[in-house]
Amino acid sequence: MIPVNRMTYGLSSWARIAGLGVVALLTLGPVIWTVSTSLRAPAESFDLPPQIIPSAPTTEAYSQVFAQIDVWLFALNSTLVTALIAVGQMITAGLAGYAFARLEFRFKKPLFGLVLATMMVPLQVTIVPVFLILKSMGLTDTLLGLIIPAWPTAFGTFLMRQYFLGMPKDLGEAAMIDGAGPWRIFRSVYAPLAAPGLAIVGVLAFNYHWNEFFRPLILETSTDNFTLPLGLVSLQGNLGTGSVSVVLAGVVLSMIPAIAVFAVGQRPLREGITSAGVNR
Amino acid sequence: MTTTQHRAEAKAAVRKPEPRPSARERGTRLLAALFLAPTVIGVLVFTVVPIAGSVVLSFFHWNVIDSPTFAGTDNYRAAFTDDTVLVSFSNTLVFMFFAVALQLLLALVLALALDNRLPGWLRSTFRSAFFFPLVLSAASISVVMKYLFNQEFGVINWLLGHVGIDPVPWLTSEDSAMAAVVLVYVWQQFGFSFLLFVGGLNNIPKEIHEAASLDGATGIRKHLAITLPLLSPTLLVASVVGIINALQVFEQPYVLTDGGPGDSTRTVVMVIYQSAFEQLRFGEASAVGVLLFALILAVTALQFRLSRRFVHYQ
Amino acid sequence: MTDSPHSGLPRRTLLRYGGYGAGAAALAGTAASWDRLTGADIPGRDGDSLVVATLGSAFDPAAQRALREGFQKLHPDIKLRLLPIQATDWSDFFAKILTQIAAGTQPDLVYVATEGVQLFAQRLGVPLDTWVKRDADELREYFADVHPSLVESMMYEGSLYQLPVEFNAADMYLNTAVLRKAGAELPPPDWTRDQFTALLRELKRGGGSHFTPYFWTNRLWGGVVPWLFANDTNVLAESKAPGGDWLWNDFYPADQRRGRGGGYRWRTPLATHERVEEVYDYLASLIRDRLCSRPEGGNGDNLVGVFSTGRVGVTPAGGFWAGGLHDAGMRRTGYDVQHFPRWRTQRHQFGAAGYALLRTSKKQDAAWEFIKYSVRKDVLAELFLANQTTPARRSMVQAARYAKTGPTNWQVFYDTLDKFPTTGPIPAPPQVAEVEQLLLKHTGTALGDPRGVRPALRRLQGDLEKAMERDV
Repeated sequence: MIPVNRMTYGLSSWARIAGLGVVALLTLGPVIWTVSTSLRAPAESFDLPPQIIPSAPTTEAYSQVFAQIDVWLFALNSTLVTALIAVGQMITAGLAGYAFARLEFRFKKPLFGLVLATMMVPLQVTIVPVFLILKSMGLTDTLLGLIIPAWPTAFGTFLMRQYFLGMPKDLGEAAMIDGAGPWRIFRSVYAPLAAPGLAIVGVLAFNYHWNEFFRPLILETSTDNFTLPLGLVSLQGNLGTGSVSVVLAGVVLSMIPAIAVFAVGQRPLREGITSAGVNR
Repeated sequence: MTTTQHRAEAKAAVRKPEPRPSARERGTRLLAALFLAPTVIGVLVFTVVPIAGSVVLSFFHWNVIDSPTFAGTDNYRAAFTDDTVLVSFSNTLVFMFFAVALQLLLALVLALALDNRLPGWLRSTFRSAFFFPLVLSAASISVVMKYLFNQEFGVINWLLGHVGIDPVPWLTSEDSAMAAVVLVYVWQQFGFSFLLFVGGLNNIPKEIHEAASLDGATGIRKHLAITLPLLSPTLLVASVVGIINALQVFEQPYVLTDGGPGDSTRTVVMVIYQSAFEQLRFGEASAVGVLLFALILAVTALQFRLSRRFVHYQ
Repeated sequence: MTDSPHSGLPRRTLLRYGGYGAGAAALAGTAASWDRLTGADIPGRDGDSLVVATLGSAFDPAAQRALREGFQKLHPDIKLRLLPIQATDWSDFFAKILTQIAAGTQPDLVYVATEGVQLFAQRLGVPLDTWVKRDADELREYFADVHPSLVESMMYEGSLYQLPVEFNAADMYLNTAVLRKAGAELPPPDWTRDQFTALLRELKRGGGSHFTPYFWTNRLWGGVVPWLFANDTNVLAESKAPGGDWLWNDFYPADQRRGRGGGYRWRTPLATHERVEEVYDYLASLIRDRLCSRPEGGNGDNLVGVFSTGRVGVTPAGGFWAGGLHDAGMRRTGYDVQHFPRWRTQRHQFGAAGYALLRTSKKQDAAWEFIKYSVRKDVLAELFLANQTTPARRSMVQAARYAKTGPTNWQVFYDTLDKFPTTGPIPAPPQVAEVEQLLLKHTGTALGDPRGVRPALRRLQGDLEKAMERDV
């Protein structure tokens, strides 16, 4: 009985691995094609079958990118914007998440509902009023104008609430019996445990805002304020005459930091998304 | 900081219908007010006020250039009679249904397939691969996908040619354009649900599986009867987030098809963008925006209501 | 969750100090980059600069610097700020300009193409008439060098709103390697639609399985409208506003001012007109016979790529393609251009662009100085080094300009205006955004399905009628 079972396991395992492998290949395929096409001469961009390993690799497209746009300035802007949004979101989400998870106060449910409901508002609906508000604050066409409105985060708050709810309640209760006030309980019991959760919020914020296109498109007008995704638009050329390999080289360049953060932050990110789905 | 503090104190002092709260309770409320202030003020200033602005605007005609004129319910009436707007709502719902269903199904199957009988390194490789598209920008990846989906020169039709399928006019036929948009969207998004499910499955106690196996439940039957109900809270989160995001889809159709051919891939957010920024009908765009917001709210509320019946908490 | 007694304290302390360190570094970094965050380090933001919005993807940074520095040398008293707007096409560009206007932060001058000329003229622009009359002597040389059709396309109801800087007409690009392979010659300038069809068939026979003779995208008016022009019809019936004599009489000789008016009027939709139906039927037949691709929408053109690599033989485009093909690695002899084929007529379609002055500007005289500066020959020469467009000045369209990028037949570009005096602009009334969207949408339906032509045109007609009734 047992050997037979193992046999079928073995077979179905192999089928399973093959199936998973195909899906993984389909998932990574477009990315591989992008990287490889950016390393080929423009004339070979549309070769079929596609040369996945370029026969004559060239970095010409990358030099073109650097020649056509100020990559370093745009990367600096993107870094400033994403980093400050990430740090800001960690603070706002950490604090609000804790309040929603561990503090008792009036209107908790409706307030939490209000924060979550912001997830349901399409950016395109609010962009003009937001623009007007930023103008009254003197923040149009500045990087701060991108950063500050992004600080409140519904998903981050939700994640941190889940995260704090997941911590054992007895810790706080023990401290309370010892006479600690609500601030002390937060400060010395729960906050020190929150770092991994905050890392998740940070990585998610980085991931989203590094790639953000619509808000910078509408809010930033000076070239000096462009973020990388916005700067890359010029590579498409006048009325779409840009060369494919240069466009794709730009795409690859803008991917690199996201991939780096992905490599470093993969675990917290995975755990973050994972924990979000566990109902508490 | 101090002004917030004062405001919070004042708030705490004003409401006092019940017996006087203890010092601890007041401390807790004060702390809560402080902690919530950044998020709540931010939400008020950058979402609630703009939404209110949009609602007000939806009762006006405004072309940006001249000052707004009162329109009554004109914009809403226009939205309900305009074919493009109506089609965009049905497109968005169709998109949402297929995108979310495919995404959840794919993610669920993969999460179940990736159990701990596979070697650890293989599992983490697959996990990373499935998850990877999430870190890319939707706009850039749609540019790439446009090349791959091209009818004449795209890699996808070339691959399909090997299994004897004639070139599909993916992006240029009303019959297939939406399918292409859904595929591109699902390709990028399924990793999110996948990770949710991996987490949810890890949380199911091993004993339950073992008990089920002892009872003779195997394979698909076991999953249907035991795993799925236990996974239902995760399914709820995945579908809520999935639906909210899908109803706001913009980049993929914008880059891939610009809403065409015809109106076949025009989504609500695209209509909002086009009528506001391209046709200068900010009032009408706001009305459509308000309707979309109401739809999202309604769908989400419905989900939570249904979830009371179908979601099982441990 | 609890740390082990041995490693617990030190690790936590370490983490805490690490946290303090990171926090301090973040603060220091923020402080150091404060000017970057607030944009205070960008010169010319203090409000008293002349702000000029240009289409960002059209000019590279070096060209923009040259444009700015040249102007400052000439007018050191006028502070100039260039805003290259990032956009993939004109509707993107206008969207962004309009957001600025909605928020009350509009520029003084906006680079506007034919698509937006009437919209801006009607709603936002200032006629340039008084300045043109004032500086007539200075401008005589410019107008003598610029075809009147381009100038007329920038007039609205008798007044001039922009000075044309560049233009692009829909001519035919042909891949010479593809022609050679099929044993075909470059067609003559006066070729007909039937010769065009025959050529596509010839190319189809010579091409492989991944070859499409004719390719076009359903964007930017490029696909259908040139065929409507060739068949002597249009999307909207065309007429001319009265007026404009003040300009024609002063700047153009009698033979060139004949038939000119005060700008175009496009009012009555013609979508169900029999000649429009003929055009759609013709394009549908090309698609059916696999001589041509179905029209594509969306961004991210791959047309340059597939044409330059010989996967496509023929495609309609303007002078701006020469630069694009060169960048894509195509040799100057690898392709050539010819006029659009003749059907009922050989009228061509073009689009032009120049700077529009906004009514809200408080520096209108300074802005006029910039407009004049922007059409000087030396300035244009500096700006259009890479042939990313066709200069509006005839004297600049010469052999030396195309020596590096090609095409051999570069004369075609300006001949499209000179040899075909009826060649006219894209039909772009003030309701342009809606007209364009409707045209693209229904063209997609009409040609996406073999039986779709007539019903789609009927719907196009109905929708256009509604759109044209609307006040913008």
